[in-house]
Amino acid sequence: MTLSTEIREKARELLASGQVRTVIGYEEGLRGRTRPAFVTDVDDVERLVWNRACTHNLTTYLPGRLRPPHQSNGAGPDERVAIVAKPCDSRAINVHLAEQRYTRDQLHIIGVACAGIVEGAGESRPEKDGPLQARCQACTERTPVIYDTLIGEAPPVTEVADPVGEKMAELEAMTPAGRMEFWLGHFDRCLRCYACRQVCPACNCPTCLYERDDSLWTGMAIRLQEKRAFHLGRAYHLAGRCIGCDECERVCPVNIPISLLNRCLSAELERSYGFRAGEAPVPSPVTTMLSGEEG
Amino acid sequence: MMFEPRIIGFLCTWCSYTGADLAGTSRLQSPWNLRAVRVPCSGRVSPELIMRAFDEGADGVLVLGCHIGECHYDNGNHRTAKRMPPLHALLAFAGLEPERLRLDWVSASEGERFARIVSEFTEAVRELGPCRWRRAGPALPRPELAPAPAERGG
Repeated sequence: MTLSTEIREKARELLASGQVRTVIGYEEGLRGRTRPAFVTDVDDVERLVWNRACTHNLTTYLPGRLRPPHQSNGAGPDERVAIVAKPCDSRAINVHLAEQRYTRDQLHIIGVACAGIVEGAGESRPEKDGPLQARCQACTERTPVIYDTLIGEAPPVTEVADPVGEKMAELEAMTPAGRMEFWLGHFDRCLRCYACRQVCPACNCPTCLYERDDSLWTGMAIRLQEKRAFHLGRAYHLAGRCIGCDECERVCPVNIPISLLNRCLSAELERSYGFRAGEAPVPSPVTTMLSGEEG
Repeated sequence: MMFEPRIIGFLCTWCSYTGADLAGTSRLQSPWNLRAVRVPCSGRVSPELIMRAFDEGADGVLVLGCHIGECHYDNGNHRTAKRMPPLHALLAFAGLEPERLRLDWVSASEGERFARIVSEFTEAVRELGPCRWRRAGPALPRPELAPAPAERGG
């Protein structure tokens, strides 16, 4: 039985028994693209697939569909959903749970043992056996940190390369002035299309600080300085919450290496506070009190 | 002419701002480069404010709050203390010299400590030279050296 079939079986069971109202998974779209799918009908479960191009972090959709009980008089618009989650995506669920976006019992997590997603996933007809995405090359996680049903067996960890880490080391070896030029060169291309923010599972403020024209502290202009403030500010808001799915970088129409900013903050939080986002449902250390050792 | 850095200081009203007052009333010498912004608590100083100060042309930003355990609001300074290391790392990664941002603690009775921290910080930023962070609008006028205060005779 392939992984796709196993996911379909589980989805059919959950929908037929009424345990969930929607299954969020992946389907084959137009022109050979793999795209997110929302299945609400038992007859539609055949649409669900699993392949090496399932790059989307589906947990982005959860805060909008589920509400914590105290915000919805006990019933959300879609009280229980099932979601197909890769190991990286499953950490975003822990981030949501820590922030009480919804409760654990509103969710049935179909965890998938993942061997990495290929480069070009999300686009038309990616090479299904092509090279892995940069983040997947360095990934050693094979099973989700949180799940109700596990699909597939954890594939072995083979050769580990770290192209993003190499880029980080290269940047850190530069002078501050060099790094500033590097980043300004990238931020200059930004369109402020907010695709990075929309796709991010952790970016779920009802009104984004960077889209408020009444804000005294952040400008909405499409000028270099405001664009830098947006990117650095957004990266900072994700400190201790970014789980490194790198979807922001994938969707960026002008290829800004946003993941490097997130990676910088993750490394700092691990160094300062020994914290890795999403490994357990605990809030980001930048929002909490000092413990004895840190004072 | 010696480079005179533009320094923004976010001072907690319960301790550092009062400490600055004490430094003044004690006639302690401290550099005039610091522009003090009085905030209700160092926990009020969100990273956006600090980035904004650099965006608007600050050469250095000094955040001063109450010593840990002495916060008027119990834990406001805990939050500042935990926020600053990631902000430091991020700004340094984006090309700002990390020495341009400093967090320290000054209580209301530590006028001498206030004067010392401000002097140290001003000298450290002076060493670094003008900040190249600001990228918008016309160049800001550099502060002129203030005339030496006349000796206050009796």
